[in-house]
Amino acid sequence: MAAQPKPLPVHQPSYLEGGGIVGWLTTIDHKRVAVMYLASALFFMAFGGLEAMAIRVQLWHPDNHALSAATYNAFFTMHGTTMIFLVVMPLLLGFLGNFLIPLQIGARDVAFPRLNALSFWLALVAGILLHLGWIRGGLPDAGWFGYANLTERYFTPGLAIDWWVVGLLVSGTSTVLTGLNFLTTIIAMRAPGMTYMRMPMFIWSLLVTSILILIAFPALTIGLIFLLFDRFFDTHFYVASAGATPILWQHLFWLFGHPEVYIMALPAFGIISEVIPTFSRKPLFGYPMMAYSICLIAFLSYGVWGHHMFATGMGPVADSAFAITSMLIAIPTGVKVFSWIATVWGGSLRMTTAFYFALGMILEFTIGGLSGIMHASAPIDLQQTDSYFVVAHFHYVLFGGAMFAILSAFYYWWPKITGRMLGERIGKWHFWLTVVGFNVTFFPMHIVGMWGMPRRTYTYGADMGWTHLNQLETVGAFILGIAFLLFYINIFKSLIGGERAPADPWDGRSLEWSTPSPPPAYNFATIPQIRGRDAWWILKYGRAGSRGVAAYMSGQTPTLSQAAQPVDVEHIHMPAPSIFPLVMSLGVGTMGLGLIIDWYRIVIIGAVVVVLSIIGMGFEYADFGQESHDPEHAPSSGGIDVRKIGIWSFIGSECVFFASLISTFIVYKSRSVTGPGPEILNIPLTSFSTFILLMSSLLMVLALAATQRGDKRWERIWLGGTVLFGLIFLCGQVYEFTSFMHEGMGLTTNLFSQSFFVLVGFHGAHVAIGVLWLSVLLVAAMTGNLGKSRALSVELAGLYWHFVDVVWIIIFTLVYLMQAVPGA
Amino acid sequence: MSGRGINRYSIASITMRVAIALTFAGCSSTDRPMTTVSPKSDLANWIQSLYIDVTVWDAIILAIVVTAFILAVFVFSSRVGEAAPAATASSDLGLEIVWTLGPALVLLMISVPTIRTIFRSQPAVAPAGALEIKVVAHQWWWEFDYPDGAKASNELHIPVNRPIRLLLESPDVIHSFWVPQLGGKRDVVPGQINELTFVATVPGMYPGQCAEFCGLSHANMRFRTFVDSPDDFAKWDREQLAGPVATPATDQLASDGAKVFADSPCTTCHMIQGVSKGYIGPDLTHFGGRTTLAAGVLQNTPANVAKWIENPQEIKPGANMPPLLLPGPKLNALVAYLESLK
Repeated sequence: MAAQPKPLPVHQPSYLEGGGIVGWLTTIDHKRVAVMYLASALFFMAFGGLEAMAIRVQLWHPDNHALSAATYNAFFTMHGTTMIFLVVMPLLLGFLGNFLIPLQIGARDVAFPRLNALSFWLALVAGILLHLGWIRGGLPDAGWFGYANLTERYFTPGLAIDWWVVGLLVSGTSTVLTGLNFLTTIIAMRAPGMTYMRMPMFIWSLLVTSILILIAFPALTIGLIFLLFDRFFDTHFYVASAGATPILWQHLFWLFGHPEVYIMALPAFGIISEVIPTFSRKPLFGYPMMAYSICLIAFLSYGVWGHHMFATGMGPVADSAFAITSMLIAIPTGVKVFSWIATVWGGSLRMTTAFYFALGMILEFTIGGLSGIMHASAPIDLQQTDSYFVVAHFHYVLFGGAMFAILSAFYYWWPKITGRMLGERIGKWHFWLTVVGFNVTFFPMHIVGMWGMPRRTYTYGADMGWTHLNQLETVGAFILGIAFLLFYINIFKSLIGGERAPADPWDGRSLEWSTPSPPPAYNFATIPQIRGRDAWWILKYGRAGSRGVAAYMSGQTPTLSQAAQPVDVEHIHMPAPSIFPLVMSLGVGTMGLGLIIDWYRIVIIGAVVVVLSIIGMGFEYADFGQESHDPEHAPSSGGIDVRKIGIWSFIGSECVFFASLISTFIVYKSRSVTGPGPEILNIPLTSFSTFILLMSSLLMVLALAATQRGDKRWERIWLGGTVLFGLIFLCGQVYEFTSFMHEGMGLTTNLFSQSFFVLVGFHGAHVAIGVLWLSVLLVAAMTGNLGKSRALSVELAGLYWHFVDVVWIIIFTLVYLMQAVPGA
Repeated sequence: MSGRGINRYSIASITMRVAIALTFAGCSSTDRPMTTVSPKSDLANWIQSLYIDVTVWDAIILAIVVTAFILAVFVFSSRVGEAAPAATASSDLGLEIVWTLGPALVLLMISVPTIRTIFRSQPAVAPAGALEIKVVAHQWWWEFDYPDGAKASNELHIPVNRPIRLLLESPDVIHSFWVPQLGGKRDVVPGQINELTFVATVPGMYPGQCAEFCGLSHANMRFRTFVDSPDDFAKWDREQLAGPVATPATDQLASDGAKVFADSPCTTCHMIQGVSKGYIGPDLTHFGGRTTLAAGVLQNTPANVAKWIENPQEIKPGANMPPLLLPGPKLNALVAYLESLK
């Protein structure tokens, strides 16, 4: 295929050209979205970094008063929150993931480009909400883990924690949308021939990370929703005196929080697995094992959250179980480290800055992994948890692992992203200062932690013997600060006059290097045919390493688009820009702001904006309900429409959402201190509602069948029937809720009532959304816009509707029917 | 194979263990009173031996990784531009099995003693003859209630060589009880009673500190544990039960101070047996007998007590105690009275 490089068929403007400021605000190009993620992450990284420096200044000597206790607490909270939610995740997923997924799998964009833009704007809104405490109410100050019940309004009365709760809810929503988008993209939009076992390892890591996001974030969302209800609506989900337990927060938080560690670590592993083969001029060692180990790590990471809670008194059985599962993670992680070293072994090494950072990551991350084994041993952890030893450990994992990988990725992919090289000379300085600064800052923390210094303390006594090492750490932090300053300078210099980057500066192996630097908006003039792992390498050199070399060496760098037959790039169909993601995010931000400053009119304005922008988005394309995809990709490489995969992914995520709500209900239903309990439930009435809802599923099936055979009359009847039955169910619920109110059971009455209302209420909200969705389809059917060709639209609504019904069957069984069983 | 091989292994292992033990011992507990590696109880000893085990394995694994890394980067590879190295395989089943099973075996070696220690350190019932002490963690100070009715604040006294069972509870937020030399930490969670069981083996004073972030003055929630000989402990316990030592009539200043106290708002929160019934703040009945003040933050000297009473917020931001606006002479009298409460 790459036989004869040809001159450029036409000028290919890069994705960065044109559009002006409006072009950026309305962009849905995955590469532009990535660049906006980058800009926002670099901005917040400066904040998080300065907060860290201020922390180190305060700890310079005992009984220091450089910062007040309140400021110090706010700074360590915001340092953690910022670095995790606004820097590392956006850099790994929003920036690198967004930019590289389509380029590495041979696609023109992600599966849902507008959703992608929405993710970014929501992430930015979340970052702003988290920082609005500077203006009013103070910065959040309860730690990034925000342990209940310290976060209850009684103990933290101001607005600070409100900003935190709402900011994280918005951020979590953005991340889940990203996970859903990435998962669908990777499943559905791989170029022909790119089987799973031919995907670049970075794509493998993002595939698994996306699944992890979808199943981990709902737990955090539920935890935050409970906290939001406690703070704003006077419920008692974490209040011990009401019979609840603050430990519930820890379970929900770490059920999210430990997978979160791997959401940050797996993409970092993926980056290293790309950089090392390129600069060793060797394929990745043990590719299948590397892919399986990613899957295994993700699987195990979902069952180890308790190792954050060894000190809470879970009992010896739970302690042992979590200790074993935590230790097991070391095995697949070890496989990765050894395989990277084996990749370097026998390689022909090109010692670039990107490679330096990748090699540095292997060693620094190994140290973090080994101290992790100590924490997995529960008794040892009891001495180390909440001490500086743990601070050392997770900085070796998150800085030595994730941040080193991110920096490596910067030097590696920057030329592709901007079309300019980063300075190698200044880069080497940056690397060595980072290594020195990082180790001088964080290694002594192991020792000072072993000497008993607790974390999150704004001051310490002079008689503890911690002073000298703290001073050493502060010196290290300043070295690290200089290193980052060099990094920002390097970026700046490259942008204003860096050396122009060729298409393939590193003799790369994956598809992104086949496009010009920076790539055109449509990425590939023709979608490449994939013949093996390291797709671009095979195209350049052939499988045996001979074919194609002559062509490659003969002068101009070939690009796939040039190598293929001339293509009229003018006619590549790309989705049109949209302003609605931005407008909708502003609406969400307005709602959050109104809620916090207690001005409900602002909430309503925000809600109206959100609803209008959803409607606007629905009608944006003349082709109603059909997002304008590249026709080559619908249906996808797997033969299934991307929207169907998207809905299934969403349903998977919703399962965890409802599972968390249901588990909470089961734990809390009989722990109320006062008031009515489960006996209040009206089982005969609800049985009727349940029957109606189940029948609506049947009507839904009939509606879809009618649409598929093009029967417009029955399509309207069955759809109308489904909507009607949904409405009857909702009316039943409204009646049930009001009668409970009359009998004296309100939301805040006791633990039973609050977990009942929140669980059943959230399900009711899902039904209501379903009714709205079906009503829109009904209107379309009435106006004759819902023909056979749009059967998929009905099918998608149907999938959602059936899911909501299935959830109701579970709720009906566990909440209502179990009451009739004695002793349940 | 292999008596000799095993011998050699155990010699290496023993040497390494001794080296690590010496390193730990180098961290003298007098210079670093919160050190986690100078065990003074059975619990702390178990943790220590597990800690040394895992450290040895970690060191071995790190040495293997670093060696392989150095060989790969500096020995068995070439640089671009040099003669290309001989092609190497891109996978090797044998190697991959080795580096999967190897770590798995190491983890097995670690997990067995781990689980043994977990169960040994969390007995379901109190050991025979255990002294059960209720520990109440407040924002931001510690209350210790003894089964015989004795009460202490911020300074815990326990007898040496007798099983101690601490019952931990919190009326406000989550705290964590931690005396590093006596063992690992245990969270204090509102709504549940956690337990910590150990036998202190060496008399002495061991500082501790709250280890779970509990709000504004989390850093100022410290305390001291005194491991006393049985006789000293019995004596201390008798004194606590006896109520305050009467202020000698000759000490005019202290007698004036008693009046200042009785007329002050102090009485709403603080108890002095026979004088006031407050219970929100620490019991002051034996205040003069304590070595520290404000939950281990200051040494108990008259100057520090005066400083504390004048403006507690400066020493412990967020504390419930308001500044007491007393003229100098009254303040001095109050301090003298409090210090006389042995």
